Amino acid sequence: MVLAGSNGSGKTTLLRIAAGLYKPSRGKIEVYGLDPQRERLECRRALSMISHQAYLYDRLTAIETLRIWARLLDRPSADSDLMPLLASVGLERRPRLQVAGFSAGMRKRLTLLRTRLEQPRLLLLDEPFSALDVEGKRQVEDWIRDAREAGAAVIMASHAILRVSRLCDRAVLLERGQIVWRGDGEGLARRLGEQA
Amino acid sequence: MNVIRQALVLVGKDMLLEWRGRSRFISVLLFGVVTLLLFSFAVGPDSVALRAAAAGFLVLALLLSSTLSLSESFRLEQEERALEGLVLLPVDPVALFYGKAIGNTLFLLLLAPIFTPVALVLYSVELGAMKILTLVGLWALAAAGLSAPGTLYAAMTSRLRSQDVLLPLLLFPLVVPVLMGSVKAMALVLGGDPLEQLRSWTVLLGGFAVIYWSLCGLLFPYAIEEGG
Repeated sequence: MVLAGSNGSGKTTLLRIAAGLYKPSRGKIEVYGLDPQRERLECRRALSMISHQAYLYDRLTAIETLRIWARLLDRPSADSDLMPLLASVGLERRPRLQVAGFSAGMRKRLTLLRTRLEQPRLLLLDEPFSALDVEGKRQVEDWIRDAREAGAAVIMASHAILRVSRLCDRAVLLERGQIVWRGDGEGLARRLGEQA
Repeated sequence: MNVIRQALVLVGKDMLLEWRGRSRFISVLLFGVVTLLLFSFAVGPDSVALRAAAAGFLVLALLLSSTLSLSESFRLEQEERALEGLVLLPVDPVALFYGKAIGNTLFLLLLAPIFTPVALVLYSVELGAMKILTLVGLWALAAAGLSAPGTLYAAMTSRLRSQDVLLPLLLFPLVVPVLMGSVKAMALVLGGDPLEQLRSWTVLLGGFAVIYWSLCGLLFPYAIEEGG
C-alpha cells in the first residue's frame, strides 16, 4: 500500500504511529491486533521501519553495524553469515570502511539490510527511494517485490508516485491527516497526474 | 537472559565507538585534569588545606567530567537517529538503559587511573597501595551512582538544543547523596579513619547506586519516548 500526499499531509506521522514511535492524539491503531504502544516489543517483532534517517553510527563499519543488529536480533552474526547480505546490496567490497565514508545511497542500502535480519511481517517504508541513484532505486524496487513475495505486507510513504504505483495494490491519498481518496496504483498515478 | 545479552551487545557497541572516537575520551580527561589543577591554584600552596579538600576536589572533577561524557554519549546516538533505530528493533528498553549506563560507568572508571595519581601529587597526599585500591573502589561506586541518573537525564535531554545546560541542572541536585557519600568516604581514606566510619559511608554510597540503577532502569523507557 502506498501513502501519498503533499508535505505535511500526515504520511510520516501515520507510519511512526504504526511503529509505536508516536502516540496517536486520538483514535486507535493496531498492528496485527497489537497495540504499538502497550505491546511494543511484540509489535516490533512483527514490523520493520525504514525512515529518512539511516540509523547508523558513522564510526562503525558496515560489517560491525550488521553484526550488532544481528546480535540484538539473535540472528547468526559470523562474517560468513553477514557477507552475503552485504553482497546483496553491493557493499561487499567495503565491509571494513567506516560508515562516515559512505555516500547517502550506500547508507540507505546498509539500512535496508536491517529488514533482512528482522524478517518482518510488515514493512513500513518512509521515502524508500530518496537519496538513491538509478541502480539503487532498482535494487529497492526488487527488494520490495521480494519482501512481498516472501509474504510481508508493505506500507510506504513516497513522492515517487510513478515508481510506487507500479509496486502497489492499494493507494491512499492523505490531506491534513485525512484520507481523501482510495484506489490502486494506476488510479493514484492518474489522479496525481491530472492534478499536476 | 535476553535483556542481559542485548545489554552486553550495546556495551560492546559503545566501547567500540569510544575506541574509534578516542579524542572524546582525551578531551574529557584533559578537562578533568585541568579542573584538578585549577582547584589546587584556587587553594594556593597551603598543603594542609589542599589535603583536607582533596577528596572533594577529586569527586567534583569526576562529577564535572561526567556531565561532558554523558551528553556526548547521547550526541552519538542522535546523529542519524541511531537511538531511534535501536528503539525500533525488538530490544527491551531496559537493555538499552543498562547497556548505555554500563558503558558510561566504564568510561568514568577509565578516568580513575589518571585523575587519582594527578590528585595525589597536586594535593600532596601520600597513600599506600591498599588505600589507593580502596580509593579506586570508591571511585567505581561514585561513577556508578552518577552514571545511572546521568544516563536517564542525558537521554531525556538529548533531543534538546539546551542539553549542555539542562543536564547538569537536572543531574546535580539528584546526585547530592552520591557526592556527599563519596567525598566523605574518600576523605576518610585520604585522611585516616579513626572512628571506622568508612564502612557506613561506603554502604550508603552503594545503597544509592543500587536505588538509582533500579529506579532509572524503570523510568528509562518513558525517557526515550518521543510523544509525537
